[in-house]
Amino acid sequence: MEGEETYLDLFLARCAAQDDLALPRSPLLSPIVPYDVYIPNSSNPETTFNSQLEEVTEISGNFSSVDLSFLPDELTQENKDQTVIRSKHETEENCKTESWQSRLPLPSQQDVDLVLNSSGGSSSHSHLHPGDANSAQRSPEKPHSLPLASITPMTPVTPVSECSGIVPQLQNIVSTVNLACKLDLKKIALHAKNAEYNPKRFAAVIMRIREPRTTALIFSSGKMVCTGAKSEEQSRLAARKYARVVQKLGFPARFLDFKIQNMVGSCDVRFPIRLEGLVLTHQQFSSYEPELFPGLIYRMVKPRIVLLIFVSGKVVLTGAKERSEIYEAFENIYPILKGFKKT
Amino acid sequence: MPGGGRCPDCGSTELVEDSHYSQNQLVCSDCGCVVTEGVLTTTFTDEGNLREVTYSRSTGENEQVSRSQQRGLCRVRDLCRVLQLPPTFEDTAVAYYQQAYQHSGIRAARLQKKEVLVGCCVLITCRQRNWPLTMGTICTLLYADLDVFSGTYMQMVKLLGLDVPSLCLVDLVKTYCSSFKLFEASPSVPAKYVEDKEKMLSRTLQLVELADETWLVTGRHPLPVITAATFLAWQSLRPSDRLTCSLARFCKLASVDLPYPASSRLQELLAVLLRLAEQLAWLQVLKLDKRSVVAHVGDLLQHRPMLIRKAFRDATAEPGALDAREKELQGQGWGKEDRGDGSLDLPAGKRPASPALLLPPCMLKPPKRTCPTPPVSAVTGDENISDSEIEQYLRTPQEVRDFQRAQAARQAATSVPNPP
Repeated sequence: MEGEETYLDLFLARCAAQDDLALPRSPLLSPIVPYDVYIPNSSNPETTFNSQLEEVTEISGNFSSVDLSFLPDELTQENKDQTVIRSKHETEENCKTESWQSRLPLPSQQDVDLVLNSSGGSSSHSHLHPGDANSAQRSPEKPHSLPLASITPMTPVTPVSECSGIVPQLQNIVSTVNLACKLDLKKIALHAKNAEYNPKRFAAVIMRIREPRTTALIFSSGKMVCTGAKSEEQSRLAARKYARVVQKLGFPARFLDFKIQNMVGSCDVRFPIRLEGLVLTHQQFSSYEPELFPGLIYRMVKPRIVLLIFVSGKVVLTGAKERSEIYEAFENIYPILKGFKKT
Repeated sequence: MPGGGRCPDCGSTELVEDSHYSQNQLVCSDCGCVVTEGVLTTTFTDEGNLREVTYSRSTGENEQVSRSQQRGLCRVRDLCRVLQLPPTFEDTAVAYYQQAYQHSGIRAARLQKKEVLVGCCVLITCRQRNWPLTMGTICTLLYADLDVFSGTYMQMVKLLGLDVPSLCLVDLVKTYCSSFKLFEASPSVPAKYVEDKEKMLSRTLQLVELADETWLVTGRHPLPVITAATFLAWQSLRPSDRLTCSLARFCKLASVDLPYPASSRLQELLAVLLRLAEQLAWLQVLKLDKRSVVAHVGDLLQHRPMLIRKAFRDATAEPGALDAREKELQGQGWGKEDRGDGSLDLPAGKRPASPALLLPPCMLKPPKRTCPTPPVSAVTGDENISDSEIEQYLRTPQEVRDFQRAQAARQAATSVPNPP
């Protein structure tokens, strides 16, 4: 226990030293120094820090037992993460840059959080950085705002060896939008070439467009459901095109409350899975009835996603409202499935 | 009250009729010994016919329960009796039905669903007590559609938060095999087709275990696999006489329905057996095919674990060993054959059989069509939509008039009454 405390003291002292250096610069600029460059720049405490690294690798998992109550709450978690990171960085020299780069926006956000927070060891900085981190989170799709994505990766808490390297492909997006005006479905079916309307079968017009290849259900109340798009942006574009068609037919259609209701993704883990074993160990989440359906239905709690897992290793994920939920669900299930790889 | 009786203890004739908690008793007034006891329940008549009234008839418990629920509970009990389930199963199934009925979604459901619910309760009870009952059996008994059954079953499991274990394959094999009518000679079953039950059961079990180990059972309906295994076991016990009998004829003889996938399961099982046969030295020289391998099933099953290990390599085997083997075989052109394996066109006897991949059949078949990954489109969702693009979907006024005319003509044609 003594070794851990001395290590922490050293680390905090180093962070405090960095703070003094970092203060005059803007918070956004200071983190943009690669983490591994810090180490050679350090002063005396670093040498003792390195020698104590052996102890750290053993106790890196055990920080729950260390009494860090004297630190403010935010700092406690950050320090734990960073010490774990550093030890892993030392022990795992082969960081697969390519696989990490092909990884999803979400983990790189986490890295940015950690780096942003690491340069600010004191609480004042840690209050600033979550704000920056939030702004970084708001634009997950724009890699240029996260320059660290191209620098030597810092492993988040899960080690690199567990990263699956497989990205689920989105297959279908279901979205709804309110056109906010009453519609005459008979008129729409008469004047639009791509519409079909059979009131005895279903009380909506089924309209299709070629680009993006989608189908829409348009109801007389003015509500519309758009299905078949392969990405969120395509779904939005398609919904706007349908609204334009309705507008051109003479209705005062607007485009209100566009919302993605469901996203479906699929991927392949490329090894066979023993579904009977999986249903035994994960009884509370799985439902496997070979008499009814060849796949196992896994209802993940966090994030709330339903996965269909087949013996061939193909996985279908559905029920997501955000793309990140699909990615997160797959990253959660991959280690579980790998556990059933060996027959 | 004297009635001619004497107390066995003290010999007194002073016997008094007394009621102890509504139970009639004849008690000796001298020593207090109970001479006779009446029954606790009411009887239809005071003499003879001492049939007791069931609890459910004598109490008012059914006054609280709606008629449809009563009917449902009755059907649950009937179903349990038809299936000849142990008595404890009945109570559990009834309890499940009552539990399900407390949910408004079930109470308001159609009668068809309530009928199917009866089957669901019985199925869940059987599954929890490892009684091998298939959904197909219940659907046949209830004259229900499997789709309706599956929907109700999944809903019930979710609603009640139940933990239903999987179907126990071993028990299912035993009950299913016992239902084959091949264990005694009869006018339809010639003597050479009759088989000993125990031998057939044990061989079938071994074949089903082999199928399970080689990925033929996961994800598939269990029954066709067992049918195929039973047929193979029966054939292999007396191949000379039985090879001429086909799977369909076998099921007809045994008066068992032939499930449709059973023939493809049979082919898969034979393919696996052929692969195993290649590893046995004395079988390699025989150049076996699908028909001749049946005679050697006994041998193959005897050495099953060792043969499986030798004949199939794990799909996740160490890359080093894999590469070495592939290099060794590349010159002989085996690399291609391995990947598309599952077929039986092996040049047996010419070269040592290389281990095939132990994979489910769906992974061994070549992919039907390669799905090209869609190009990553840089769509923002906010692009401008050109008028011409929208106009391509609209009808010109002339087209509208033509369409209306065509619709009217069609209406007129369909509404013309048939000539008398």
